[in-house]
Amino acid sequence: MYGKGLKPLSIATVAMLALSLSLVFFYAPLDGDQGFIQKIFYLHVPLAIVALVGFVAGGVFAIAHLRTDNRKWDAYSYVSIHISVIFGVAVLITGAIWAKASWGHWWVWDEPTLVSFLIVFLLYATYYPFRYAIEDRDRQARYASVFAVTAGAFVPLNFMAVRMAQSLVHPRTFATAEGGMPGEMMLTFLCSLAAMALLWTTLVKFELTAKSASGQVKRLRRALDAPVAGGGSRIAPEVS
Amino acid sequence: MEILFGAPALPLDEAGKYVAGAYVVFVVLLVVYVAIMAAKVQRIERELRDVAAIAEEKKEAQAAPGRGSETPLASHGSGGGGTDV
Repeated sequence: MYGKGLKPLSIATVAMLALSLSLVFFYAPLDGDQGFIQKIFYLHVPLAIVALVGFVAGGVFAIAHLRTDNRKWDAYSYVSIHISVIFGVAVLITGAIWAKASWGHWWVWDEPTLVSFLIVFLLYATYYPFRYAIEDRDRQARYASVFAVTAGAFVPLNFMAVRMAQSLVHPRTFATAEGGMPGEMMLTFLCSLAAMALLWTTLVKFELTAKSASGQVKRLRRALDAPVAGGGSRIAPEVS
Repeated sequence: MEILFGAPALPLDEAGKYVAGAYVVFVVLLVVYVAIMAAKVQRIERELRDVAAIAEEKKEAQAAPGRGSETPLASHGSGGGGTDV
């Protein structure tokens, strides 16, 4: 069920990534202040936005799981967080490279945007040991959902707190006193954001498909291993 | 295509290696993830083949006279539990 539409989605993602890379390197003008280094912006910022939105989406799916007790939503929540953590790793590494190129340091501890993202990332890094420390599958899913809701609520609060803390080190791209980005840069940025959002969606769908297939194979195997009583099928109905 | 041919040469000086580094990191992460998922999909395919073999064996056992259908086929293992999250 999860695999439906995966192929066109993958094709759209590859096309969008190719378009955004072409725009980044051959269309968007060079930044007057940072020059060629600013090209990292089109990778780093969309990755960060999609990762943070993915964490919030994980919280929303977790709410759906707690409300309905349907394991499907727990799988959605888990996979959303998983892919967002991978994106988070990319954000931290690309951010460090950009920081080294622009500021001369791999990491700056007195910059709220960087530190707050690291806190969010480390918070979600604890999701895995927390989840797998619980053996009972129902309790594991329930506790993981509570974690995802709490951490998901922390993400926008953290974002607002950082916005309120005025800093001159990390650039505010969309709302500066100078008027923000020029049109070509904005178009390139929006294409990159769309490409990253598509990539996130494709990877989530891909992983959900693999998990669903694996779960169904295990259920089939259990049903075949069990002795048949009364001639009826012991294969459990598929969980969507 | 016109955009590509009309574009100026990329300034791959000192800044170029940082930009290349950032994009290479992204691609490497993506490739590693896809490789892990490909291994996972191969494992699922292998398990599916096993399950098909068990089903075939069971079908043959049911069809053969004098052999019951209650064989648990424990030699194939239990296969683990529930939703693989």
